[in-house]
Amino acid sequence: MTTNPSLIGIVGAGTMGAGIAQVSAQAGWDTVVYDISQEFVDQGLSRIRGFLQKGRERGKLSAEEERKILSRLHGSVKLEGLQDASLVIEAALEKLDLKREIFHQLDSICDPTTLLATNTSSLSVTAIAGATKNPQRVLGMHFFNPPPLMALVEVIRADRTSPAAMEKAVAITRRLGKTPVCVQDTPGFIVNRIARPFYNEALRILGEGQVSVESVDRIMKDAGGFPMGPFELMDLIGIDINFAVTESLYLSFFHDPRFRPSPIQQRMVLAGELGRKTGRGFYTYGAK
Amino acid sequence: MAQSSLAIIGTNRLAEELLEMSRTKGFQAALFPDAERATASASMVIETCAGPEETKKRFIQKLDGPSRPSVILTSCLGFTASHIASWTERPERVVGFATFYPLKDRKMIELTGGLRTPEGPLQEAEGFFRALGKETARVKDSPGLVFPRILSLIINEAVRSLDEGVAGAEEIDVAMRLGTNYPSGPLRWADQIGLDEVLAVLEGLERESGDDRYRPAPLLRKMVRGRWQGEKSGKGFYQYKG
Repeated sequence: MTTNPSLIGIVGAGTMGAGIAQVSAQAGWDTVVYDISQEFVDQGLSRIRGFLQKGRERGKLSAEEERKILSRLHGSVKLEGLQDASLVIEAALEKLDLKREIFHQLDSICDPTTLLATNTSSLSVTAIAGATKNPQRVLGMHFFNPPPLMALVEVIRADRTSPAAMEKAVAITRRLGKTPVCVQDTPGFIVNRIARPFYNEALRILGEGQVSVESVDRIMKDAGGFPMGPFELMDLIGIDINFAVTESLYLSFFHDPRFRPSPIQQRMVLAGELGRKTGRGFYTYGAK
Repeated sequence: MAQSSLAIIGTNRLAEELLEMSRTKGFQAALFPDAERATASASMVIETCAGPEETKKRFIQKLDGPSRPSVILTSCLGFTASHIASWTERPERVVGFATFYPLKDRKMIELTGGLRTPEGPLQEAEGFFRALGKETARVKDSPGLVFPRILSLIINEAVRSLDEGVAGAEEIDVAMRLGTNYPSGPLRWADQIGLDEVLAVLEGLERESGDDRYRPAPLLRKMVRGRWQGEKSGKGFYQYKG
């Protein structure tokens, strides 16, 4: 088996998978997007088409560039469709068993020199790598949402990732037009961990009473210089998604009180008040 | 109140900046490294010491002398305004404020009264900051109020991550700027603020709440004790010239 150095495989055609595929195709790689059904693959590809079309309408790329990018994108409903790739980035659902199964299969389908990366934001890369026979070529490449717009990629070193694999992933990240930052495989890596208090402590302060959501947001912007307040940002991210990240860190650190989730946030998740996407979160939006 | 006299107490950069800013705005202001002679004729005293407790307590108690100011505006980074007020004979004069250096970057300053502070001194304090061109917000009395409290916890987590070897200082700062759009990386930001001020907030929160979530990172304590406190000492998480 040999690998095609100009081919990147993506597992999962959801928001992150499609976004990463777009980044890859835009940077000049032939890109194969795998998902379990043609319907999911088509949805992902049409999401990319929509994104590119908007970019063209805003004058950010020409019709010719758009055509070239689209010509580099291919779909597959078979994992074997990724067998020639020199790098596979997995962006499936955040379920450890599922990811382990995917890596177990990729490990035998792909050449032993193929880099296998997971885009997980909350699971242990080492735990995923443990499902393979060649864990030295397994690492994390954590993109941020939306991948075409966010410059950062956390390149995560699992316990058995080789230095050569890290170097290769860092170089590819740069060629994708992104800024790589190397991180040890620890819960939440850098960003999701260190940003926790921005949300959690704001929730704690809200729970202590005598201060409003609006007031905390205004203070963080006007006194602190943050571009957005914590509550408006949680509404934008989605209260459920934000809560899931906090809960995952709390469990990963074995109930360290630094990561203890807030009952206010849990209550909102259970009530379906998830932020902008449901029309109601810490603020009320539109006529939904 | 543009002509009233102002005594600023403290040896930190915030005190120096307050002096310059208030003089520019027409205040008769003087800076005192200690509270000893600060009360002479001042109608308002701004006490900026974040800690340690003995020093701050001594400063506040000096202000109980015969020519007492009508308002003591005190930094409540590390203590509640109510706690600080308990050190004086007239707790009604005490108003807390919490912010971080540099003041020029702060459009808004947070204030709080202590348990026994009436409306008058709070309004005087608000008037002072407005005269400096700042907006004010009143919040609940807690060490570090809102912005310094939240930022100190972000910095604490960044210091823990660094100490545990999750990533290097520059990697952490780059990741946080690009991944979250914070105005500064947390470690660079801590260097600018002064690590001692950040530690004071964490220690205050830990003391008041008894909650382990506020436990300061061991490396932060080491650096403060070793006087690697950031820009002002030439070294913090980064090296500075001068």
